[in-house]
Amino acid sequence: MKKAIVISGSGGQGVMSMGIMLAQTAVAQDKCATYLPEYGPEQRGGSAKCTVVIDDVDIISPLVKNCDIFLALNEQGYKSFINNMAAGGVLIYNSSRVTSKIARTDITAVAVPADEIANSIESPKAANIVMLGALIEKTGIVSLEAFSAHLEQKFASKKPIVMEKNRLALQKGIECAKK
Amino acid sequence: MAKILMQGCEAIAEAAVRGGCRFFAGYPITPQNEIPEYLSSRLLEVGGAYVQGESEVASVNMVYGASAGGARAMTSSSGPGISLKAEGISYLVSASLPAFIVNVSRGGPGLGSIQPAQQDYLQATKALGHGGFKLMVFAPATIQEAVDLAYDAFEYAERDKRPVFMLIDGCLGAIMEQVELPPMKEVTGKETMKINLRRYEDETRGPRTITPIYPEIILENLNKQDVKLYDSWAENDVKVEEFMLEDAEYVVCAYGIAARVAKEAIINLRQEGYKIGMIRPITLNPFPKKSFEKLNYEQVKGIVDIELAIPAQMRDDIALGVKERAPIYEYGRCGGILLDDSDTYNAIKKIIDGGNA
Repeated sequence: MKKAIVISGSGGQGVMSMGIMLAQTAVAQDKCATYLPEYGPEQRGGSAKCTVVIDDVDIISPLVKNCDIFLALNEQGYKSFINNMAAGGVLIYNSSRVTSKIARTDITAVAVPADEIANSIESPKAANIVMLGALIEKTGIVSLEAFSAHLEQKFASKKPIVMEKNRLALQKGIECAKK
Repeated sequence: MAKILMQGCEAIAEAAVRGGCRFFAGYPITPQNEIPEYLSSRLLEVGGAYVQGESEVASVNMVYGASAGGARAMTSSSGPGISLKAEGISYLVSASLPAFIVNVSRGGPGLGSIQPAQQDYLQATKALGHGGFKLMVFAPATIQEAVDLAYDAFEYAERDKRPVFMLIDGCLGAIMEQVELPPMKEVTGKETMKINLRRYEDETRGPRTITPIYPEIILENLNKQDVKLYDSWAENDVKVEEFMLEDAEYVVCAYGIAARVAKEAIINLRQEGYKIGMIRPITLNPFPKKSFEKLNYEQVKGIVDIELAIPAQMRDDIALGVKERAPIYEYGRCGGILLDDSDTYNAIKKIIDGGNA
């Protein structure tokens, strides 16, 4: 079943990394995936968006108008794309930064204070992994096992503490979405 | 071999290396930067050379030198940079030198935008430089297709002793998707040199690669050779995907990323009973004119040209095949705004139901 995931935030929040990790995990699970980054000329602080499409068969169009799953990492990103969600979709938003009241009633909205959680484990950069933990728990778009394996691989060359923090961030995101 | 997730630009670069590319010169411009970035380290691993030139003009002329020296040589850029390379491309053609040139195109005209577009169709197919020559132009729609075409680009370039051009939009350049990479070709510089320095099979005089000026009669003969070359392309080298044409009353024509969006729309429209198909040129030069010539115009009520360009630039080439036997409609976005599945679906539906865009 074709699923389109849009992730938006600002440059530096790890939007593109999230998209690539999701796509790579899907491929590791023998699914098909496309990842499309969209950003302006800014190196930091500009708007950042990526679209990941995951399907069991070859993906024909990687360009979609309405997504099934939307991860909003900040207020601007939320406002820009909230109306490009399909009815019945899942919104996971970083409530540390998205301040708007969620007006749409035809979607499932999950609040994740990703920055607060990441700060609480003294790893502010891992806020994006907190969000992905919540995504995996809420939607099962990729399996936790496959994603954990990918994470281990990604941080294999870093100090063990980096992996520990990310593992913890992932776990915190999962717990948050369970509530 | 297992499929891996790879970005379009990087996959093209890797495929070129596997196809024998051993020299690259280029100059930075979005959205093609990942090609030089990738090759800056990759070429060194295979004993090749990478140069970031001081300009686009310098880079294309370095490719000229490298090709004349026997290397499978490549350059890439985006619209504004390709315009700057125009003189060098024309010189490569005049010296009968092979090369592989990629345009990862963006919105135009002028500096335009850094976002994807298909507004360089006319430049790629009609006028890549002065003097009225054509290059073979590949327009893949998936990263796998881009890999397969880039892998064989030098075979065509050396066969024709002329650069081969690839036109992809910035979207395909930036997308990551699964690819299966082909094995490394065994290419030695010496063999390539022999090919590159021999202009024609029956040539008796020594190699000459710098061609500032020709006697008129030789120049005319060189251009006459092109007629045979283009005829041979049209006969043997057209690559096209024909999709659901058998009972089609409406035929979409689209290439590259636009074709993928259109195909999704076509599949959805088919489910609603619309009899619609698609002709997707994979080579823009030679253009699949015959695919349009052979359509049954008793049945076909209209052609829909869908591009990331306004006005649609492929329309004139389509018209040569349609020969006024059906109306040609067009739909597109441009300037860096992308097509999407839903709007494209609605646009085609509106054309069919209402007879206009």
